[in-house]
Amino acid sequence: MLLDFSRLGGWRVALILIALLVGAYLLLPILLIVALSFGSSQWLQFPPPGWTLRWYEELFDDPEWIASFLTSFQIAAVVTVLSVLIGLMASFGLTRGTFRGREALRALFLTPMILPVVVLAVALYAFFLRLHLNGTFVGFVLAHLVIALPFSIIAISNALERFDRDIETAAIVCGASPLEAKIRVTLPGIRLGLVSAAIFSFLASWDEVVIAIFMASPDLQTLPVRIFGTLRQDLSPVIAAVSTILIALTAALMALAALLRKDARS
Amino acid sequence: MTFLDIRGVSKSFGNVAAVSDVSLEIARGEFMTFLGPSGSGKSTTLYMIAGFFEPTGGDIRLDGRSILAEPSNRRNIGMVFQRYTLFPHLSVAENVAFPLRVRRRSGAEVSRKVEEMLALVRLERFADRMPAQLSGGQQQRVALARALAYDPPLLLMDEPLSALDKKLREEIQAEIRRIHRETGVTILYVTHDQEEALSLSDRVALFNHGRIEQVGKGRDLYDAPHTRFVAGFVGHSNFLDCTIAARRDVRADIVFPDGSGCADIPLHAAASSGTAARLMIRPDRLQLAAPVPAAGPGIDTTLSDATFIGETFHFAVTTGWGAQVNVRLPAGAPMAHEPVIGERVRLSWNAADARLFAD
Repeated sequence: MLLDFSRLGGWRVALILIALLVGAYLLLPILLIVALSFGSSQWLQFPPPGWTLRWYEELFDDPEWIASFLTSFQIAAVVTVLSVLIGLMASFGLTRGTFRGREALRALFLTPMILPVVVLAVALYAFFLRLHLNGTFVGFVLAHLVIALPFSIIAISNALERFDRDIETAAIVCGASPLEAKIRVTLPGIRLGLVSAAIFSFLASWDEVVIAIFMASPDLQTLPVRIFGTLRQDLSPVIAAVSTILIALTAALMALAALLRKDARS
Repeated sequence: MTFLDIRGVSKSFGNVAAVSDVSLEIARGEFMTFLGPSGSGKSTTLYMIAGFFEPTGGDIRLDGRSILAEPSNRRNIGMVFQRYTLFPHLSVAENVAFPLRVRRRSGAEVSRKVEEMLALVRLERFADRMPAQLSGGQQQRVALARALAYDPPLLLMDEPLSALDKKLREEIQAEIRRIHRETGVTILYVTHDQEEALSLSDRVALFNHGRIEQVGKGRDLYDAPHTRFVAGFVGHSNFLDCTIAARRDVRADIVFPDGSGCADIPLHAAASSGTAARLMIRPDRLQLAAPVPAAGPGIDTTLSDATFIGETFHFAVTTGWGAQVNVRLPAGAPMAHEPVIGERVRLSWNAADARLFAD
C-alpha cells in the first residue's frame, strides 16, 4: 500500500504523536472527572491535594442519589426489554415483508435518530401533557423508547438480513412449525444482534438527559437529570463520583458490545 | 406402483408461467433427477413438493394422498438445500437430533438415531463439532443425515453439491448413491449438471421452459433424444442443416446444402418433404477415414483442427458448405491413417446413430 505504516519513516513519529494528542483530547475530561471523584478537595481542585473515598460514601448515604440511580436503572431496563421486543417484530416486518411503503416505514422508524433531541423532547412534553404522562414512570419509558427503538431496529434488521432464511426454512422442513423454527433456530442465529440491540437501547435511555429533563418531576429524576440539577446549585465532588459510576457502566457495556462483535467475526 | 404422483402441476408468478402442466410418476425407492437450465422450472417443481409454493393448478399425491393441503412442516419430507443450512448454534449431533426433538421423541431414541445417521454419513467423529468447524462437503453430509433422521419416505435435494469443487462433488455423489442403496429412500434430485444427473439417477426428467421435455434413463436421453433441446442439453452434439427430401413413416431421406444426401434417418418431428431440418450426431459416433467412396452415410470434409487430450482425440472438420463438425475418437483405437490439418477426410456414421429434428 502507498501509505504503509511501516514505510513512513520519520513521519511515523509525527503520526503517533497526533494520534496520542487526539486520544488525550478525547479522554482527558473523563480522566479528570474520575480523578476529581477520588480527590480530597471540596472545590474540585486539580491536581487533588490528597485521595479519599469520602464522596462515594456521601453519595451512597444520600437516599435521593440512590433513588435516582434506581429510577434510571429501572427505566433503562424496561426500555431495553420493550425496545428489543418491538424492534424484533418491526425488523421481521421490515426485512421480510413485501408490502408497499416498506422503505418509507423503515425511514420513519429511524427518524428519532436524525431529529434534534430537543425538538422531540418538546413534542413529547406537549403530547404527554394531554395524556397526563409527564413526570410518570410510564411517560419516561415511552419517551425513551422512541429514541431507543431505532438502535434496536438497526441492530436486529442487520442481523436478520445476514441470517440465511433457508436455515429457517430447513427447520420448518424438519418438522418445526414456523413459530417454533423462529424461536429455536432464527433467534439463536441472530442473538448477537439482539444483545447489541439490548446494550444500545439500555445506553440510549441510561445516559439520556434532554428528554429526561422535560419528563422529570421532583419525585422522579433520573441520574443525568439529578446531576444537571445539582450542578446548577453547587459544585460538589459527589457529582464527579456519580459521573464516574455513570461512565464506568457505559464503558463496561460498550466493551461488552465490542467483545461480542469481535467474537462474531472470529 | 406410483409413489409420488405429480399431476398436471402448474405455477405462475403473476403473468409468468414458471411451471406449465408438469406430470410425472415416481416409483417408491426410485432416484429421479430433475435436470435443466436455470429458470426451467425444475426447482419450482421441487419447491411445490416441499410446500414452499402452492401450485396454481394440478395435484401432487404422495402414496395415494394429496399433500397440497399440508404445510411444509407436516409433509414429513426430507430436504437438503443448495446453500449450507445447518443450524449454526447447534453441534453436529444436535443438528441431526433437531427433527426428532421437534417430534418429541424420547431421549434414548434420539441418541440412538443420531448415532445411526452419523454412521450412515461416516461423520461419527464429528458429533461434537460446530457447523462452522466443518468443510462444505462435511456440512452437506450432516445436512443429509439431518434430512434422513426422521425416516422420511421422500428426500428432496436441491443442487446440494453446486457449492463444492469437482473432486469433492464426485466423492459425495458416490456417498449419495451408497446412501440411496442402503436406505431405499425415494430421492428427487435437482441439478443443472448433466453429468451429475446421468451418474446419480435411475431416471432423469429434463426440464425446459417450465415443461418436461423428456423423461427416461440417462442412456435413453443420450441415445434417443426426443427433441433437439434434449439432444443439445445432454451430452455433446453436432447439428447439421439439411432439407428433408423424402419421408417414409418415421424415416426420411435428407439432402445437405452441398447436394450430397443421406437415406433412412430416424425422424423425430412431424416434418414433411421439403422442410428444413437438422441432423444430430454425437461426436463419439463419427468415424474419419481417407476420402474413398464407402457404403453408408457420410460426408466429404476437410480437417481443420486436431487436439490430443489424453483419453481422446478431438477433431474438427469442415463440411463443403462451411459447417463445423466435432469428432471425438478414443486415443487407444487404431486409426488406419492419421489425418493432418487441411487434408480431405471422409466423415461417416451408422445410420442408426443419427437423428433428425425439425428446424
